[in-house]
Amino acid sequence: MTTVTVDKAAPTRKVKYGSMSRDRAWALRWSYFFLVIFAIFSLTPPIYMLITSLKSSAEISAATNPWWVFHPTLENYVGLLTSNQFLRFFWNSAIVSIFVVTITMLISVPAAFALARMRFWGSATLATGVFLTYLIPETLLFIPLFKMFAVIGDWTGIQLINRWYVLLILYPTLTVPFCTWIMIGYFASIPKELDEAAVIDGASWLQTLTRIFIPVAFPGIIAATIFAFTVSWAQFLYPLVFTTSTDQLVMPVGIITSLIKGDVFNWGQIMTGALLGAAPPLIIYAFLMDYYIAGLTAGATKG
Amino acid sequence: MADVALQPNRGAAQAARKRSSLHKMLKRKSTVAFLMTLPLILLIATLVIYPAFYALHLATLNKSMQRFVGLSNFEFLFRRETFWLVVKQSCIFAITAVVFKALLGFIIAHFVHNIPAKGQRKWRGMLLVPWVIPPAMSTLAWLWLFDPSYSAFNYTLSFFGIGPIPWTGDAMWARFSVILVNIWVGAPFFMIMYLAALKSVPEQLYEAAAIDGANWWQRIWYVTLPMMRNIIAITTLFSLIVTFANFDIVRILTAGGPLDHTHIFATWAFRIGIEGSDIPLGASVSLFMVPILAIAAIFILRDINKRGNEA
Amino acid sequence: MSRRKLSRRQFVAATALSSAALITAPYVRGAHAAGKLSIGFWDHWVPGANKASTDIVNAWAEKEKVEVQIDYIPSQGNKNLLTIAAEAQAKSGHDILAMPTWWPHAQAELLEPMNDVMEGLIKQNGEPNGTVKYLGQSKGKWLAVPASVGSQIKGPCSRIDLMKQHAGIDVQALYPAGAAPKADNWTLDTFLKAAEACHKGGVPFGIGLGETSDNVDTAGAIFQSFGAALVDEKGNVTVKTDAVRQALEFYKKLISFLPPDAGAWDDSSNNKWLVSGRGAMVMNPPSAWAVAKRDAPQVAEQCWTHGFPAGPKGRYAPYLSYFWGTWSFSKNKEAAKSVLRALSQADAIEKMCVASGGYDLPCYEKLTMLKVWQEEGPPKGTLYHYPNPHNHQTLSIAAAPAPPKIAQQIYTQATLTKMCLRYHKGEAMENVLAWAEGECEGFMRS
Repeated sequence: MTTVTVDKAAPTRKVKYGSMSRDRAWALRWSYFFLVIFAIFSLTPPIYMLITSLKSSAEISAATNPWWVFHPTLENYVGLLTSNQFLRFFWNSAIVSIFVVTITMLISVPAAFALARMRFWGSATLATGVFLTYLIPETLLFIPLFKMFAVIGDWTGIQLINRWYVLLILYPTLTVPFCTWIMIGYFASIPKELDEAAVIDGASWLQTLTRIFIPVAFPGIIAATIFAFTVSWAQFLYPLVFTTSTDQLVMPVGIITSLIKGDVFNWGQIMTGALLGAAPPLIIYAFLMDYYIAGLTAGATKG
Repeated sequence: MADVALQPNRGAAQAARKRSSLHKMLKRKSTVAFLMTLPLILLIATLVIYPAFYALHLATLNKSMQRFVGLSNFEFLFRRETFWLVVKQSCIFAITAVVFKALLGFIIAHFVHNIPAKGQRKWRGMLLVPWVIPPAMSTLAWLWLFDPSYSAFNYTLSFFGIGPIPWTGDAMWARFSVILVNIWVGAPFFMIMYLAALKSVPEQLYEAAAIDGANWWQRIWYVTLPMMRNIIAITTLFSLIVTFANFDIVRILTAGGPLDHTHIFATWAFRIGIEGSDIPLGASVSLFMVPILAIAAIFILRDINKRGNEA
Repeated sequence: MSRRKLSRRQFVAATALSSAALITAPYVRGAHAAGKLSIGFWDHWVPGANKASTDIVNAWAEKEKVEVQIDYIPSQGNKNLLTIAAEAQAKSGHDILAMPTWWPHAQAELLEPMNDVMEGLIKQNGEPNGTVKYLGQSKGKWLAVPASVGSQIKGPCSRIDLMKQHAGIDVQALYPAGAAPKADNWTLDTFLKAAEACHKGGVPFGIGLGETSDNVDTAGAIFQSFGAALVDEKGNVTVKTDAVRQALEFYKKLISFLPPDAGAWDDSSNNKWLVSGRGAMVMNPPSAWAVAKRDAPQVAEQCWTHGFPAGPKGRYAPYLSYFWGTWSFSKNKEAAKSVLRALSQADAIEKMCVASGGYDLPCYEKLTMLKVWQEEGPPKGTLYHYPNPHNHQTLSIAAAPAPPKIAQQIYTQATLTKMCLRYHKGEAMENVLAWAEGECEGFMRS
């Protein structure tokens, strides 16, 4: 805790200030000590999911040491991965997430480009306003939206409630503002000379966007994509309110409402389901962590 | 840029004419820009702004939504003990959780920043896991960890002669559990933001402080914190909004119980509006999030304007 | 805005009606009419029980040449209630939907009357019990058809060994298999003493005080056996009565012998409590026992399902009934009615009952002595007294006899268990009653 500059400063100063380097060694030890504690805190639930998912329901109900698997079994995984219902949830989640990511990108990239580069009446206000939409959380909107869609169904006969595609309409409200915000930041950091040159050469705005901005801001686009994917994979409230039939459900709601059955004891399966539900974001994150973090901290580094 | 090279290959006169008309179009770049932002505007207008006002309208109807009743839904709420309990709890929940998230995030960020650079990636990766798992899924794991009959925590604690602790059964413990899970989910976000900010603090400042004989505490107080003030403010505000409007953690962990002692605005609005089929009352409840959010909005707006001026 | 919406809705309703008539017309004409029917059944807790109803419906569909789609909707997390609410709002959904307890009344305006179906069924199967009539009928109109699937009595399920060891009660002697109960001494006082003894012995009764139906049902039965009701038949608030006070006093004593986190229990907690072997009794239909049979056989062998203890005003047992309802906006009502008839035949009911391991409980008087309850085990005869074969107790539901729409609120808001918890936590009696009165007045909102 004593130093913040340990890694770069330590080697050069080692000889000169003996006591200080001892201080640093201690600081380092303490740092590791606390990091281990925090890591345990962070990883306990996922590890516990894994442990429970490997137990049979008889072993769980026998209430033996919960932190150890005595008779590891894959029956929960086999059970879930061969259940049509569960695969349906997975499939729905995948479809919804892919569509939402696409829609989000199609809306937010051009918008961010226009807001970052092409000033027009109200563009500055809009750029600020985009982020402010997060001030109206989905927990405020779900009731009016529910009634709205019921009325739309009543008037036009277009059923939106209890159809998975209603999520394609709803999720973009959660992903688009943040993605636009990230992309505005990325686009703004591209040197003006680049697109001015392109315009002088006769490129249209669309061409400038697709040929210059998108390639240059590619890391930002990946970050935004990951963000959109994570949000749409994890959303809980909207699917809980708007979809109810088993074949319309997405992963998180499906697991919580269909795997937990009051009187049946299937926590092994529930934990397996939760783990499988957490897997896609975890995998993406394992491979693209740096982009993910870049996206999360996009605002921070420029602040 | 490739097509810029392509165009001269076609007939020169044709190209020139085409280019001039194109230029004319492009001159009205505001039109193009507007068209490019139109989907965004439509999305926000129809699915965020309109429903927000529609909520106001709904809140003035009676339960069967056939009669205009003015403010009597609010009047009804004000007379409910449970309503004031929910207000209190939402505030306790949001403030406690955000303070601890910010504190923990700050401390962890420092520790990660402290260790050699090549190990940082690994630690950062592990510590960010709670933020990556969908909260609904991880809350399920917590629910199972807290289970009355099979709690793994109580099992462990029993070796130290403690417990069994009613994690979700006692009002205070239930609040503690809900806040704990929220901190668990949210602290990594702070950690990662602060870590990014810490990295952007110039080394020279610390060196200068060290030469002046500042101890670690003074270095944090006089160098780190002022440099990170902006990011701390915006992260805290953002987290305050998200925590205040939280739904999934409370819903899955306690569903508001015991005795409504963990209900927050979102879960209570859901209980009343969707589960209880009283849409107007539910809408009225969720509208109470607005004042707090409006305060947050003012702060954020100020911050963003400031940033705009700097740029 | 609302005015315009109304006229629009009427218009849509009218067109829907006429189109429904068009679609159902061929069905009436010929027995072999094609058509589509979507059914939302309750997702049964007993493993494998869904199959029986699927089979019956499929057999019917093959005969009638109807294309059927079945969804199984769980009640955990109120998923089934959310589905009902969503379909009522959207005016579209399943042609048949399983509705628990109060929901036929809650959606009375949107449900197709079932009098024609019920007339025939009552002739065949005998009178349905009083609770079903209270929940399923409104002004002489049958709102839905009582479903055997999911209907249950939530009586005590005791551990034979633990009750003997700690409380000195032989539940098998009180409720002998194959014979009438000898349980006149099985009263709330005995029950409370047993609860205390088992609590001392480290195996407390697993009775929850959360907001889900198991918890509310137990509280409802105990309140009724004191003659305590929060709202009477006519809709008057009767919170501040001696009966309610007595019931609260009783519950206060009982709670101190229950697990410390009983306030957070949901419908699965008592099952886990029994299966983990930690408690001497839970209030649950045989699903807990069925799961124990699978996962913890040594526990299951010691389980005995029996009747409720009697209070000063009688012996009440919580009966939770399910119904199958058809929306008035359904497009295939005749087919729906036909399949409901098929599902309510005595042999169909028995088949589903057997598949559920005796969990399901038909409401008709001729169908309470099925073989399944006499034969299920181990221990043999454990379910004999489950369906109340000797009419030893009055079947009832919490919050009855209040008008169903108010009772529904009392039930779903778990006012009874909340009162008990509040009083137990040390709130003054009069404050608790005042709070409950305020809640009941809130429930009168229309």
